Amino acid sequence: MADGRAAAPATAGPQPAPLLAIENLAKSFGGVTAVRGCTFTVAEGTVVGLIGPNGAGKSTVVDLVSGFGRPDAGRISFAGREIAGPARWGSRRVKTMRPDRIARLGIIRTFQNPREWPQLTVLQNVLLARCAFGHESLWRTLTRARRIRREEAEDLAVARQILDRYQLGDLADVRAGTLSGGQKRLLEFARIAAAGPRLVILDEPMGGVNPVLGGRIGDAIRQFAADGHTVIVVEHNLPFIERICDEVIVMDVGEVIAQGSFDGLRGNPRVVDAYLGMDLSHG
Amino acid sequence: MMYWVSVVTEAGIFAILALGLDMVWGWCGDFDLAFYGYLALGSYMTMVLTIGKPVPPTQYILGLSLPYPLAVVLADIAVVAFAAIIGAVTLRNLREIYFAVTTLSAVSALYLFVQVYTPLFDGYNGLFGLVNPGQAALNLTYNGYRTFFMAVVLGLLGLAYLLVQRVSGSPFGRMLRAVRDDEQAARAYGRGIFFAKYRAYLFGAALAGLAGGLLAVFISAFNTSAWAPQELLLIYAAILVGGRGNPRGVIIGVFVVYVAFVELTRFLPFGDAMRQILIGLLIILMLRFRPEGIFAERPGGARAGGARAGGARAGRTGNQVGEVADPAAARAAGTKAAGT
Amino acid sequence: MSTFLINVGIGLATAAILALSAVAFTLEYAVSRVANFAHGELLTIGAYAAYSGQAIFHQNIAAAALIAAAAGALAGLGLNAGLIEQFRGRSAITVFIATLGASLVLQNSLLIIYGAANVTYTFSQGSLHHVGPFLWTTSDLRVIGSALLIAGLLYALLQRTRFGKAVRAISEDRALAQVSGIPARRVVMQAWGLAGALAGFAGFALAETIGTFGPSLGFSFLLLTITASVAGGIGRPYATLGGAVVVGLAVELAGAYTSSAYQNVYGFGLLVVLMLALPNGIFVRRSAVAVRA
Repeated sequence: MADGRAAAPATAGPQPAPLLAIENLAKSFGGVTAVRGCTFTVAEGTVVGLIGPNGAGKSTVVDLVSGFGRPDAGRISFAGREIAGPARWGSRRVKTMRPDRIARLGIIRTFQNPREWPQLTVLQNVLLARCAFGHESLWRTLTRARRIRREEAEDLAVARQILDRYQLGDLADVRAGTLSGGQKRLLEFARIAAAGPRLVILDEPMGGVNPVLGGRIGDAIRQFAADGHTVIVVEHNLPFIERICDEVIVMDVGEVIAQGSFDGLRGNPRVVDAYLGMDLSHG
Repeated sequence: MMYWVSVVTEAGIFAILALGLDMVWGWCGDFDLAFYGYLALGSYMTMVLTIGKPVPPTQYILGLSLPYPLAVVLADIAVVAFAAIIGAVTLRNLREIYFAVTTLSAVSALYLFVQVYTPLFDGYNGLFGLVNPGQAALNLTYNGYRTFFMAVVLGLLGLAYLLVQRVSGSPFGRMLRAVRDDEQAARAYGRGIFFAKYRAYLFGAALAGLAGGLLAVFISAFNTSAWAPQELLLIYAAILVGGRGNPRGVIIGVFVVYVAFVELTRFLPFGDAMRQILIGLLIILMLRFRPEGIFAERPGGARAGGARAGGARAGRTGNQVGEVADPAAARAAGTKAAGT
Repeated sequence: MSTFLINVGIGLATAAILALSAVAFTLEYAVSRVANFAHGELLTIGAYAAYSGQAIFHQNIAAAALIAAAAGALAGLGLNAGLIEQFRGRSAITVFIATLGASLVLQNSLLIIYGAANVTYTFSQGSLHHVGPFLWTTSDLRVIGSALLIAGLLYALLQRTRFGKAVRAISEDRALAQVSGIPARRVVMQAWGLAGALAGFAGFALAETIGTFGPSLGFSFLLLTITASVAGGIGRPYATLGGAVVVGLAVELAGAYTSSAYQNVYGFGLLVVLMLALPNGIFVRRSAVAVRA
C-alpha cells in the first residue's frame, strides 16, 4: 500500500479501461441467493482483495468469473471481451464462456484446497501449466514425437527455473500427491507463474498456512503484480490483505458493500457491521 | 504347434483391442461398454469390402473385392467415423456410470439391429469367406499362411505398442493423465476436457477397428455370435490384471489372461460358462484386492504413498483405481527425452 | 383404436413387472448408492427357483410366487453381504464394474445348474378377459393386481414404519443416519432382502408372462429396468413407478407399430435418449440439481 502503486491519481487523464468489469451479477442455488447485484471493477496491474464474512458470496463470484458456474443475471467482461452476458435477443438466460476457454483468455484461478495433479510429478505439474497447447496435438505426437520432445526442451528449462524460484527444485521428480500441504501451495504458485495469466484469482491461499509460508506467499503475490499480472485475492486473513493489497472489495450477503483502500474501510459502518465488530485495526 | 499359433494370434489381436480400450479406460477413465462394437464393425466392414457381391439369399451392403490390406484401412476409417459420432454424443456430458450404461445401451441396440436388419450384414447368419487372403500370391501352405499371419499380427501389435508409448511419454499423454486425475483443475488451466478425451477415444477406436479387421481373417467369418457385448469383459479383466494406463502391462495381461483361460477351460466341463464365471471372479477379485494391477510398475522415486494419494483424490474425480503408468516409466522416458 | 388400447393394455402389463423390478433397483441404489448390474440375475434366480419349486407345488401359483420372492431375497442378501458391503467406500463406477462381474458369475452359474436351453412353466395363462377397453389374460391380471398391491404395501412400508424412515434416512446420508442411532448395516441388509424379494417375484412374473425363459432372462430385462428407473428419476421410488409405466407403454407401442423384433432396440434407444436429454428423469422440476458431470 505504501509503495506508491495505489490507484491512479485522481487528476490524471482518462483512466485505462479496467481489466475486469462485473456488472449486476446474480446467482442463486435452489432457493438460496448467493450473489445479487454484484458490481465492481479491477484495474490492470493491481492486487485486489475480496473480503467479507462467510457466506458473502466471494467464492461464488470467483466461480462465476472463471466460468465454473453460470450467472443467473449480469455481465462480466475481461480485457474488453464479454465472458458472460445476456444471450442474444435480450433473453433472460445468460450465456457464458466455458472455463477452459476463459483460462486460455488469461484468467487462472486456484481452488480453496490445493488441486495439484497427484499422479504427475512436480515438474510435470509445472510443465502442464505452461499451457503449450501446440505440443499436445495427438497427430503430431504419433508422427513427430521426437520433434515435440526437442521443442519441449525450452519449456523444460523455464519450468526448472520456476521450481527453483519456489524452492521446489529438489522435488521435481516426486509425485505431486505426496507433497506436504505447504509444498502443494507453493506448487500452485509455481504453476501460476508458469502459466503467466493476465489475471490470477486466488481463493483463500492462506488456508491452513503457517506464518513463514504465509510471508513467502505474500511476497509471491506482490511479485506477480510487479511482473505485470493482476491479482484478486479472496481471503479471511485481514492483516495479510492489508499488507499486500492495493485495493479491497468487501462483500456481504451477496452484494458489494464497499470498494476502496483498506484504511478507508475502517470508517465504513456497513463494513464494520458486516464483520460484527471484528477488529479491523491491525497494523 | 498350430494350436499355439492360433492362440498367440488371437491373443495378439485382443491385445491390440486392449491397447485401444486402455486408451479410453486407463488413460481417460471412461468405462466404455460399446467398444466391442468397434471391433465388430471393423470385422464386418473388412468383410464386405473383400468378399465380393452377395449371393442370394445372403445379403449385405457394399460387396466389393478389394485387396485385404486396403480393405482393413478403409474399414478402420469407417470405424473411426462411427466412433466420432458416438464419442461426440456420449463424451460431452456423460461420466462414470451414466457413460457406461449409455454406451452399453447403444451397443446392445446396435447388436440387436444388426441381428434383425438383414440387408446390413446378413443378420444372424453373418458373413463368411475371407479365407487367408493372399495365400496363393505368397505361395504359402495353409499352415504357413497362418504362421505368417501370426507374425503380421504381432508386428502390428508392436507398432500399436510403439504408438501408445509415444502417447504415454508425450505432452498429450501428460495432459490426459491430468484430466483423469483432476478434471476441474485441468479446465482451470485451459484444457478442454471433451476435446482431449475425444481424440484419445478416436485413437482407441482406430486400434479396435484394426483388431476387427485382423479378427475377420482369423475367424474367416463373422456373425453376431462372435461379438456379444459381454466379450468385452474379458478384455477389461485383462487390463485390470495388467494395470490400467500401462501399455506393457496391458499386453502382458491380455496374453496371461487369455492363454490361461483358454488352457484352463479346455479341461473343464461347461467350458464356456466356466470361463465367464472365472472372468467375473477375476474382475471382482482384482478390483477388490489389487486394483492397480499385478504387473503395474510400482512408483520408483515417490513413495507408495502415491497410491494412497491417488485414493484420497477418489472423491473428486471418482477415479479410484490408483493406477497408471507412473513416474518409473515417465522418468525412464524422461532420461531419454529430457523429461516429460 | 381398440388395437391401440389393447397394445396399451399389454404395455401396462409389461409396465407392472417393470415397475416392480425398477422399484427394487431404485431401492438398491437408494440405500447403497450403487447401480447394481447384477440386478437382472435376482430376477432370473427368482424365476428358476419357482421353476424348481414347481416340482413340489405343481400348479400352486401362490407357492411359486413365494418361493421366487424368497429366493430373490436370499440372493439379495447374499449379494449385499458378499459384494456390495465389501466395496463400501470405493467409487461408484468401481462397484458397478464389480456387480458386472457378479452378473457374469451368477448368470453362468444358473446356466450350469439348469442348462442353457429354455425352460417353461406349466402354469396355465388362463383365459382372456375384457376389462374395459383392455384385453388381458388371467395371468396378466394377476401380475397387474399384485403389482398394485405391492406398490401400496411398499408405500405404507416406506412412509409409515420405522424401517421405512430408516431407509429414507440412509438414502440421504448413511453416516448421518448411523450417528443418529440407526443401525445402518442392518437396515441396509433388510432393504436388500426386500429388494431381492421384489426382484425375485418380478422375475417369476416376467417368466410366467413370456412363458419360456433361459439364464439371460433378467439380464435382458436389466437395461429396460434401468431405463424405467432413470425415466422416473434415480433414487425416487414413487416416480420410478411412473417411469415404468411410461417406458413400458413406449416400448410396447413402438414395437407394435413397427416390428416387434425391434422392441428391445427401441428400449435401448430410449435409454440413450433419456441419459442424454433427461438424466434426472421425466418428472422433474427444472430447479433440480444436475446429477451428472
